[in-house]
Amino acid sequence: MTRILDPTDKYYIDNPGRVKAIQAEMARRGIDVYLGSRIRTMSFVLDTFCPWRSYVIIPPEGQPTYFTFVVDALRVGDETWLDSDHVRAYGPMGGMDQVSAITDFIKEELGIRKGRLGFEDGISTYTAEGNLSHWEYTHFKDALAGFEWENAHDIVDALSLIKDQGTIERFRTASLIVDEGHKAARAALTNGGYKGMTETVIAGIAALAMRRAGSVSEWNFAGLNEISSGYRTGLGACTPPTTKEIGAGEPLMLDFHAMFKLALGDHSHNYLIGPATKRQRRHADNFVAIIQTVIDHYRAGTTPGTLAAIMMDFAESRGCGDFIQPACEHGIGLFGDEWRIGAVVNPALPYWTDQDHVYQENEMVVCAMQYAAPEENIGFRYENDIVITKDGCEVLSKYPLGIEEIS
Amino acid sequence: MSERFAYLKEAWRDEALKRLQSELTPEKMNNVTTSMSNIYKNCPGGEEQFLFVECRDGKVTRVETGSGESPQAEFRIIGDYETFAKISRAELGSQKALMTGKLKLKGNLARALKLAAVADRLNKVLAKIPTQY
Repeated sequence: MTRILDPTDKYYIDNPGRVKAIQAEMARRGIDVYLGSRIRTMSFVLDTFCPWRSYVIIPPEGQPTYFTFVVDALRVGDETWLDSDHVRAYGPMGGMDQVSAITDFIKEELGIRKGRLGFEDGISTYTAEGNLSHWEYTHFKDALAGFEWENAHDIVDALSLIKDQGTIERFRTASLIVDEGHKAARAALTNGGYKGMTETVIAGIAALAMRRAGSVSEWNFAGLNEISSGYRTGLGACTPPTTKEIGAGEPLMLDFHAMFKLALGDHSHNYLIGPATKRQRRHADNFVAIIQTVIDHYRAGTTPGTLAAIMMDFAESRGCGDFIQPACEHGIGLFGDEWRIGAVVNPALPYWTDQDHVYQENEMVVCAMQYAAPEENIGFRYENDIVITKDGCEVLSKYPLGIEEIS
Repeated sequence: MSERFAYLKEAWRDEALKRLQSELTPEKMNNVTTSMSNIYKNCPGGEEQFLFVECRDGKVTRVETGSGESPQAEFRIIGDYETFAKISRAELGSQKALMTGKLKLKGNLARALKLAAVADRLNKVLAKIPTQY
């Protein structure tokens, strides 16, 4: 969706007025700063789709500031009415995790070090997150007064780390279903088919093909099938499809998701819509070579940190170290199990991937790489479910690796 | 045996500036204008120290070291002296140190990611200075 700033537009919403109304209520109740975390709050305040875990900090006066996962910050910045300085990112780095980034912002940039903080808690039937909220915790605990409570999610995390054969078979099928989506998308885009086609439409064409092949959902909370074209590929991330039309001379990322018996097919494939320049072709060839190098190094016994170092060194040797993002995978499991790798809660950066996690046979990850050249309006993303084997890995999507120029 | 420079002392700082200016061309630094300050905690002498580097249009224009308040910088990277020393000795990658929380970044993350490779090149030059820790 595109921001609507014209008050005469029939879909216009007075978003600044909404914020002023919240701030008036904060003043009335003596609240110095408001920390919003619910999706409905993001929609109400930012007027854009915020599928990644996000936070909005509303000061006593002036614009709110929004924090989201770094992959989606550019899109939100493009779509919300807030100015770019009020759309921020968090990510898996020391000082940039959610808690550090937001608390530093409140204390150091807003200069609010004490007082009353408004936050959001409660209960719902929507399971986008699923962790026990503070409201649930306190109320369940009150009702079960004789129990000692302990956080024990690590039991399930550890037990689900190594995939059994039934799970792996489901993933093989889910990945082949995703390939059907990619075949349908390619057929629709080629021979001039892309002309006049929007990102949302190509997402729907792939979704229909995958449903016909047995998928029950595009499962991904961050926009179902994630599509980027043109300048928005420049961060190397797809994010939700928009109503932007796919254009000649642009890169195109298609990141399709299929769900088969709770197994999550996830394959991101890239195209250059012709005519491609030599520079675009060079970027594309770099990225394909990097993907192949990383895939060739997966095996039991290696670690995410080792693979990232191999990837960065290889990129630097090809003269494209500036464009490759320093991570090459995220975790995957049955529906709801995504992102973190390893079962240990890394104490330095809790709930992010443990860079020293040692892979074992029959673990699964999504091999995920981002190539980002925002100044050149080009980027790519690769994702593919893989099974770690003793001496290598099994790549589950069989769609041919490559970045093809189509027209 | 070649001369060894005491880490973060004046002679080391001067050597760092000389090498950064001679080994990193503006093109290699992507013509970037930025500044960063490494804040060293738990130093051998007990006092907090800093290493400040400034680039203008890709040219390294200033290197400062010292204790107390660092010059204002676009990015601040905070960590233990020993962590920075390991990076300088090429025993630990700077990316990994950030990704594992051994270093903490303060600044705009989206811009910092774009400068990751530039910072890496800078660290690789500093790592080659014969240094006594």
